[in-house]
Amino acid sequence: MLRKVGMICVMLTVASFVIVAGCKKKPVVEDAGETKPKYASKGDEGTITGKVAFDGTPPVAKKIDMSQDANCAAAAAGEKTTEEVVVTDGKLANVYVYLKGGGLEKFSYSVPSDPVVLDQQGCRYHPHVLGIQTQQTLKIVNSDPTTHNIHPSPKVNQEFNQSQAQGAPPIEKKFNRKELLIPVKCNQHPWMKANIGVLDHPYFAVSAKDGSYTIKNVPPGNYTVVFWHETLGEQTASVTVGAKESKTQDITYKAGAAAAPASLEIAPTLILP
Amino acid sequence: MKQQEGIQETVKPNLGVHRFAIVLACLTIVLLAAGALVTSNEAGDSVPDWPLSFGRWLVSRNHFVANVRYEYSHRFIAGVVGATTFLLALWVWFVERRGWLRKLALIAFAGVVAQAVIGGVRVYFPEYKALIAVPHALVAQSFFGVVVAIAVFTSRSWLAQREVRLDRGKPSVRMLTAATVAALLIQLVLGAGFRHQAFGIAPHIAGAVAVAGLIIWTSILVFRHHNEDDYLTRPARFAVALLFVQLCLGVAAYFARVASAGDPQPLEPMISLTVAHLVVGAATLATVLVLTLRCYRVLAAEGAQVSGNRTLARAARRVAV
Repeated sequence: MLRKVGMICVMLTVASFVIVAGCKKKPVVEDAGETKPKYASKGDEGTITGKVAFDGTPPVAKKIDMSQDANCAAAAAGEKTTEEVVVTDGKLANVYVYLKGGGLEKFSYSVPSDPVVLDQQGCRYHPHVLGIQTQQTLKIVNSDPTTHNIHPSPKVNQEFNQSQAQGAPPIEKKFNRKELLIPVKCNQHPWMKANIGVLDHPYFAVSAKDGSYTIKNVPPGNYTVVFWHETLGEQTASVTVGAKESKTQDITYKAGAAAAPASLEIAPTLILP
Repeated sequence: MKQQEGIQETVKPNLGVHRFAIVLACLTIVLLAAGALVTSNEAGDSVPDWPLSFGRWLVSRNHFVANVRYEYSHRFIAGVVGATTFLLALWVWFVERRGWLRKLALIAFAGVVAQAVIGGVRVYFPEYKALIAVPHALVAQSFFGVVVAIAVFTSRSWLAQREVRLDRGKPSVRMLTAATVAALLIQLVLGAGFRHQAFGIAPHIAGAVAVAGLIIWTSILVFRHHNEDDYLTRPARFAVALLFVQLCLGVAAYFARVASAGDPQPLEPMISLTVAHLVVGAATLATVLVLTLRCYRVLAAEGAQVSGNRTLARAARRVAV
């Protein structure tokens, strides 16, 4: 009888590996393989600017309990609340804006030598949403009097989980594949969250506190401007940029469009291999 | 028809081993709770190295803050359980005459080592969180079951003289209890899969219905055919009581989780309810396992009644010793 129970346990262990392995498979992203020609500026690039507005009463920011780390409670200034929906005078911050189409995918683009900085300060990530190019350096800094652990969870890029003590040197990482958007968390302080958008071109921006964004040096063409917000969802708009033209594309998120807190998956998503 | 056949006690109970096994079982429950706290507080990756923690065996006070408290405590208690299991295996090996029990103690030690390795793999491959965490949960509860079994096999009541009866009826009580243990283990996997976001809640709810049905069915058969035997009815009663508590905790934990889906961090009461649900689940598994083992101890398969009472006696003695 013991042997039977033991066999059942072994079979269940193997089965659980197999079932779970089939459930959440990372998509296989094939690298392009061919070398794309480098984009060469013709001097006729334009600009897309705009403002992201919020119509209605924004959801109330939830309070964060930082008591489990006294260093955080001391370092965090002011009200400790969530920052998913940040609305100031009717303008929405932290909207990731990027361009699609217009022939952008035909070219490769120079990678900026300046790193993009992600700072951990007051036990929060600054900025909350950031954009970076593939192969561009992400410089992670810890300005807090406590240890953080930076843990992005990409779907097509390499995941990493690294501890960074107070005063430790910056951590530098790169993402090789475009991915929209990579959630980042700190496993030591579960309220710390950020989002990183990775693109293989430089035509992206993140809306500021006043809702404004600017995408510079846009080659002439017809584009889809995509506006992404972590809880309010995605909106798109079509823009045609002429030679040396500056176009304005505003967008408005409505209060009613605010997504309900993520609901639990009721139906199984079991995918047997 | 009851068979009146005495069984000579061939093995003397070693109460020290028995009590030590009980201590280990209790420590394992604490470890299960510690592991549940890690998951409920999303602390699973808060210590990025293994087997050391931030480069040390004993983590410094500076590091023992926030979620590291849960993850490191889990590792520390696991170390204590591992050492205790090693001592138990050693003790059983040297004092037990029953070869199969010595092997079982070795299996327990192998299980706790395997569990530690799985935990380490989980640290180094965070992208395969669910793939590793679910077997980690299953091995944890299986190890707990083995420890409980050792405690049962070393108990005075197991080795005492027992009346052996035929296990009549279809399905037999023995088979039903064993099936319930298997169903509980499957339900555990489904619960772990949900907790680690491998799949949704529906399979776990379906499993709960199946497990509840099996426990109630088993208990009805035990009370109907063996109502006079406390050796069987007591764990059956306890299993039904735990089932009721577990169902209530499951419903409460689920609704707490739904209500807290928008929270910026894991908060009470969601944390406590999910941990309690897991621990009571382990207790339910242990209780049904005890009932199963006892059924195999005092009930003989109907086919055993072939050549009279001696066959029943042999069957019972084989199980006991």
